[in-house]
Amino acid sequence: MKIELEQLKKDFENTLRDVKDHVALEEVKNEFLGRKGKLKTLLKDVATLADEERKAIGKLANEIKDALETAYGQKESELDMRHPGSRLDQEWIDVTEPGKFPSEGHLHPVTQAISEITDIFARVGFTSVRAPEIDWDYYVFESLNMPKDHPARDDWETFFVDLPEGKKGKIVLTPHTSNSQVRVMETTKPPIRIININRTYRRQIDISHIPMFHQFEGLMIDKNISVVHLKGILDYFAKTFFGPNRRTRLRPHHFRFTEPSFEVDITCGVCGGNENGNCRLCKGGWLELGGAGMVHPNVIKAGGHDPEVYSGFAFGWGVERTLMMREGIKIDDIRVLYKNDLRFVKQF
Amino acid sequence: MNILTSYNWIKEYLDTDLSPEEFAKKTTAVGNSVERMDQLSERFEKIVVGFVKEVKPHPNADKLKIALTDVGHGTVEIVCGGVNLSQGQRVVVGLPGAKVKWHGEGDLVELAKTKIRGVESHGMICAVEEIGFEKLPHGYHEIWDITELTSAKPGTSIAKALELDDTIFDIEVTSNRVDCMSIVGQAREGAVVTEQGLKGLKGLKGLKEDDDRFTIEVKEPRLCPKYSAILIENVKVGPSPWWLQKRLLLAGHRPINNVVDITNYVLHEYGQPLHAFDADKLDGEKIIVRKAKKGEKMKALDGKDYEFSDDMLVIADAKKVVAVAGVMGGEATATTENTTRVLIESATFDPVSVRRTARALNLYSDSQLLFEKGLSTESTEPALARAVELITELTGGKTASSVMTEQAKSYESRVFDFDPQKARALMGIEMEDKKMVEILERLGFVVKGPFDSGQLLPELVEGVTGLRSVNKYFQITVPYWRDHDIEASVDFVEEIARVYGYANFPSVFPAGEIQLIQEDQAIKFQRRTKEVLKGAGFTEIYSYSFISEKQLTAYGMKKDYAVFLRNPLSSEFEFMRPSLVPSMLTTVEQNQHRFPEADLFEIAPVYIPKKGNLPDEPLHLVIACYGKDGRELFLRAKGALARLMRELGINDWSLERSRDPADYIAHYHDGRLAAIYIGKNYVGEIGQVSDMFVKNFGLDPVCVLIDIHEPEFFSKCTSIKSFKQLPQFPEVKRDLAFVLDERSEYETIEEKLGKTSTLLERIELFDVYRGKGVEEGKKSLAIHLSFRSDERTLESKEVDQEVEKIRHVLEEEFHAILRS
Repeated sequence: MKIELEQLKKDFENTLRDVKDHVALEEVKNEFLGRKGKLKTLLKDVATLADEERKAIGKLANEIKDALETAYGQKESELDMRHPGSRLDQEWIDVTEPGKFPSEGHLHPVTQAISEITDIFARVGFTSVRAPEIDWDYYVFESLNMPKDHPARDDWETFFVDLPEGKKGKIVLTPHTSNSQVRVMETTKPPIRIININRTYRRQIDISHIPMFHQFEGLMIDKNISVVHLKGILDYFAKTFFGPNRRTRLRPHHFRFTEPSFEVDITCGVCGGNENGNCRLCKGGWLELGGAGMVHPNVIKAGGHDPEVYSGFAFGWGVERTLMMREGIKIDDIRVLYKNDLRFVKQF
Repeated sequence: MNILTSYNWIKEYLDTDLSPEEFAKKTTAVGNSVERMDQLSERFEKIVVGFVKEVKPHPNADKLKIALTDVGHGTVEIVCGGVNLSQGQRVVVGLPGAKVKWHGEGDLVELAKTKIRGVESHGMICAVEEIGFEKLPHGYHEIWDITELTSAKPGTSIAKALELDDTIFDIEVTSNRVDCMSIVGQAREGAVVTEQGLKGLKGLKGLKEDDDRFTIEVKEPRLCPKYSAILIENVKVGPSPWWLQKRLLLAGHRPINNVVDITNYVLHEYGQPLHAFDADKLDGEKIIVRKAKKGEKMKALDGKDYEFSDDMLVIADAKKVVAVAGVMGGEATATTENTTRVLIESATFDPVSVRRTARALNLYSDSQLLFEKGLSTESTEPALARAVELITELTGGKTASSVMTEQAKSYESRVFDFDPQKARALMGIEMEDKKMVEILERLGFVVKGPFDSGQLLPELVEGVTGLRSVNKYFQITVPYWRDHDIEASVDFVEEIARVYGYANFPSVFPAGEIQLIQEDQAIKFQRRTKEVLKGAGFTEIYSYSFISEKQLTAYGMKKDYAVFLRNPLSSEFEFMRPSLVPSMLTTVEQNQHRFPEADLFEIAPVYIPKKGNLPDEPLHLVIACYGKDGRELFLRAKGALARLMRELGINDWSLERSRDPADYIAHYHDGRLAAIYIGKNYVGEIGQVSDMFVKNFGLDPVCVLIDIHEPEFFSKCTSIKSFKQLPQFPEVKRDLAFVLDERSEYETIEEKLGKTSTLLERIELFDVYRGKGVEEGKKSLAIHLSFRSDERTLESKEVDQEVEKIRHVLEEEFHAILRS
């Protein structure tokens, strides 16, 4: 019986080799594996065998059956694949046709930038807050250590709203997001780690300026916060947003509400920070990212906290600018951002 | 603000051997950002002195000539159109390979040997503006005749012949550091970073005393804390020597005459503006610093007439206004070729007054730029001394008076105390006291101490914010050129840190306690809303917060419902939008021709005026679907809304035909309008825009809007999910199709059927048909009905009974004709 089984396997393999199409394959299958096929017939007498032998033959029979079925399966897919007129052949499609979409939506690039920036800071514990875009002079200027006669408080730089003055001064469109600083400090006991992303307004419009743009502001207030921490957070942001190979530098600068103040530069992504190159995007290998500094003691005081106990840092810059810097884009006319020309928006 | 500084000029005040590149790098690191570096020898490469040996006519052109020019390595033919070209001139020749600006315009172009009208030209004889000196006075179509300026041999490079071997730095100066807006200021900073020597400034010595000649009267000491002047006679006005003209040109000033040039030279060198009056043209030998009388007029040096208001500070003589204080002098008293006596003014004016006057008159100058940043009263004297020195040397003038000065109060240096421990804490690095003191002293601060904490300070002049000492004090005197920008003790930290170098600070991640501020609900769900709508195929737009009166009127809103700007940029941007709808409709209008259909949305705050307080800034959401078929668009918009509500976790929303159509009738199509509710809260509308909007906004397509304008929307959002136990028993499905009156509302039917059968789990509308085979005014609806019990498997028979009940209700209550 054992020999017969082995022979059956060989016969099957030989027959299978010559099979050329599905019809012939089906015939071979019936001949060997069918209900009245050779295997079934051969095994009819197994039941009569002695216990021990029956077990051994049964085991072998199963193995042979598996082998036959596997060989059959292989032959079947082989035929499917290779042969013209087979099912898979008939179901051929042109895989190079353009794909179809469920109707395609688009987010404005500014939204995309805001989401990314928010996420990056969220990972290190900075919470997004909302602050007014139209605010009292007090939060926008006065409490930020800007004297009454500071140029930014003049009509030609800042938009003033035609509403009556209140106890906290005139009402203005915020020219920066720093109004969130004193507002958050007034209502929150440190530690404070917030970011505020908002629309801001300045009185200029030309190919490189728009009267409304977005800024983001970060503020951290706690005990023992120093310049090295500001550097840490700025480096973290720059490397996360722009890529691990970008370097930053702090350049001394001047803002009324921070002391010391810096401008943050990042190596240019186009020329890779070549200081002697002639890059189309940057000046001497560096791009200006934005402003930062240690919160001025007068501002901490205005926020209702003791500058002898608490210190902190703030940073902020334009969202649109940051986005363009990363992509290495110089938009010829930045006004296109808010014209809502769908040919522009649908690219994102 | 930026300053152009010649490195050679800086080196007159600073002993340094650093290369320009090294200097630029070091000074940038401490805050004097060198934005651009111009190596002049490179700029003038292949530009040489030429000597015109002979001028011949051009055979093919009347206006051109051929100049036989010695350019050192031989004599070549150069085609030239200069009207002043003549034999024996020294000229500037651009050889092939030189970079020049054609007619002073556009980008630099590299010269090549070329044929001009059939004659080969071996270079170009350049005009002043063609090699970048556009500020030199020059005639139209004239070449630059440098015969008087140099006797260098032909072929000598221009950089050498005209002593232009220099590097120009374009340096950005922050608004608080006006002291760096000068050569001397840059040299001071340079001395700090290079640790190399600084040369001193001029002082006034050996001048006559007690000979005032002019009377100086300052009527507004607050606006003019100090006014000095000196009279100089025997002046011979003429062109300045080339070295001086060159310095001015490279600094961006235009040479005019020696007296004016000297005032500009000193302004650039010392950072203190000066003005020269023709003393003979001043009436009554008098200078009066006063406020203008309303309506008083003067023609300024720019040739324009200005009329003053009574808050503007002017300089006057006995009869008339002769200068706008700190801004610009008058034409009538300016120095001219015939001037022989000049009165040189060196004064200090109130920065705010100068700024406001300049803005109001729309008149700007180099002087005004410096004054409006705040100058020290102490800087007038060295500048005057320097001017006297140069005038004496270059114009033959002799001082004819003492330095006549009016000063409100004598100068007192600013003094602060300083705690090095607090400075270390703020910087986050360890630095010895000694090192800090050394840096401050290098910057010109005078440091006394240390004093012990218990010890009373000898003379505490000003209070200190934030850095009150507990351990050890130093007492620091501020040099006069920093008396405007150093305002508190904390400012010393910046001085120390920047000189030490921020590159030397480590980056440290802040540790600390957990803060308790929660993320703003609106920010969180605004983002989710945007993502869901994008996923549903909608395109986000961003409009300005501003709208015009025209848009506001088109929207049918009264002006006092919107926040109005007092100083808008233009009439397009006069109001802060009280609704997102007008900008959205304008966007549709602007895109309708290129995109005949689209699905758009915007989320943004709007601005609602409030009495006696800041305007409210609620976040609104507007969705627009535009195209051809209003019914389809409505359903598309409603579908998006349903998806959005589901994604935001809002389950109890509903639409109702407008609760008070009168409110919105002007905005929407009355038959295609519904109010959106969340629970009992009304949050907005969905509807096809009214004919009035179509007309007012010039819309071609049909547009359906969703305007969510109540704050309940974002406050009802939640990310908390709930779920129901999966069913234990199978459902049984039946379909029904029926024709009924067009105005029978589906939701009413669904609601009624739900109440008809307790076993009915779900109804789903899967087809709506109107048209052929269905009577006009009727529609055919097809629904799936799903029946299920929580307790057992339903039998076919009992389901049939339920369907029968439902058919009955449809026939009896909705007059439906069942089709199956």
